Amino acid sequence: MPASKRRIPVSPPGMADPHQLFDDTSSAQSRGFGAQRGPGGLGYPAAAASPQEAFLADPVSNMAMAYGSSLAAQGKELVDKNIDRFIPVTKLKYYFAVDTMYVGKKLGLLFFPYLHQDWEVQYQQDTPVAPRFDINAPDLYIPAMAFITYILVAGLALGTQDRFSPDLLGLQASSALAWLTLEVLAILLSLYLLTVNTDLTTIDLVAFLGYKYVGMIGGVLMGLLFGKIGYYLVLGWCCVSIFVFMIRTLRLKILAEAAAQGVPVRGARNQLRMYLTMAVAAAQPLLMYWLTFHLVR
Amino acid sequence: MAFTLYSLLQAALLCVNAIAVLHEERFLKNIGWGTDQGIGGFGEEPGIKSQLTNLIRSVRTVMRVPLIIVNSVAIVLLLLFG
Repeated sequence: MPASKRRIPVSPPGMADPHQLFDDTSSAQSRGFGAQRGPGGLGYPAAAASPQEAFLADPVSNMAMAYGSSLAAQGKELVDKNIDRFIPVTKLKYYFAVDTMYVGKKLGLLFFPYLHQDWEVQYQQDTPVAPRFDINAPDLYIPAMAFITYILVAGLALGTQDRFSPDLLGLQASSALAWLTLEVLAILLSLYLLTVNTDLTTIDLVAFLGYKYVGMIGGVLMGLLFGKIGYYLVLGWCCVSIFVFMIRTLRLKILAEAAAQGVPVRGARNQLRMYLTMAVAAAQPLLMYWLTFHLVR
Repeated sequence: MAFTLYSLLQAALLCVNAIAVLHEERFLKNIGWGTDQGIGGFGEEPGIKSQLTNLIRSVRTVMRVPLIIVNSVAIVLLLLFG
């Protein structure tokens, strides 16, 4: 009985995933109920408990509250069930399980991948470890944030050259997304044609291909500050870094058997896979240049 | 740069239409890409050519009916809105 009264004023806590992707950051008062999902989206702050308790003392409103919350819970279940059919939400959550340390180290790795030795992704009982525990795991947080920042920086660059208009922003976003989609489709087609047995999922691929936006942002910002020289220098550096990063990461995914033994690849099959890896890695600098050169004058 | 998601969609529709019009008997057999020619059987993994022929056959089978619908919608929309 006290549980049903106290469930309502508590804001929904972090998910209690069996694999513990996210820390439970619910407040101290609701710590005991952090494991169960509160029904409905009623998020009352825990400090305002007394006016709610006086309100809930009335039995009619109590029943109305319980009915309303159960209705909301049913609706939420229905939405969750249907959404899971189209977008794999649980799989997506894995890619956003990051923390500040991971983001910092990953950004450092994207700009300077030359000293990193071990590129293997760690596994934990057959599932990959969440990105916050393993720097080699792909995540979607950095690509998503980098993409949005790229759009904003493009708007800034266009604005400083008096070429800005709001629909240009949408055009930039659409163009970058279209190139990303094209890249993903081309790589998926090549992986199918070469019958590569890899555990590289589509979302993994989107994550890896989204890492180039970080270099693009750096290049455009330097171009805004220091003109064309700064742009070319920083873009050149980021292009080489992304090239090395992609080769080292994809080698482990596409050329799994050969790379595991560390021997140079031989045989027609492995040669084709090596060509594919090189082509994917080489496409990154090209696209980085193509998507940014018109922003820096 | 006018490369938008919409143009990608148009290009995809045109490509799938192009694959759908490849006639099995009149064309694919004559260039050796028919579906009953040279399928390697089990054992070693298929080469690129058999993967391609399988892909063309699957696209033709799967996309036959949806293409009718999507093409009709595209024709009507293009007639109305240019």
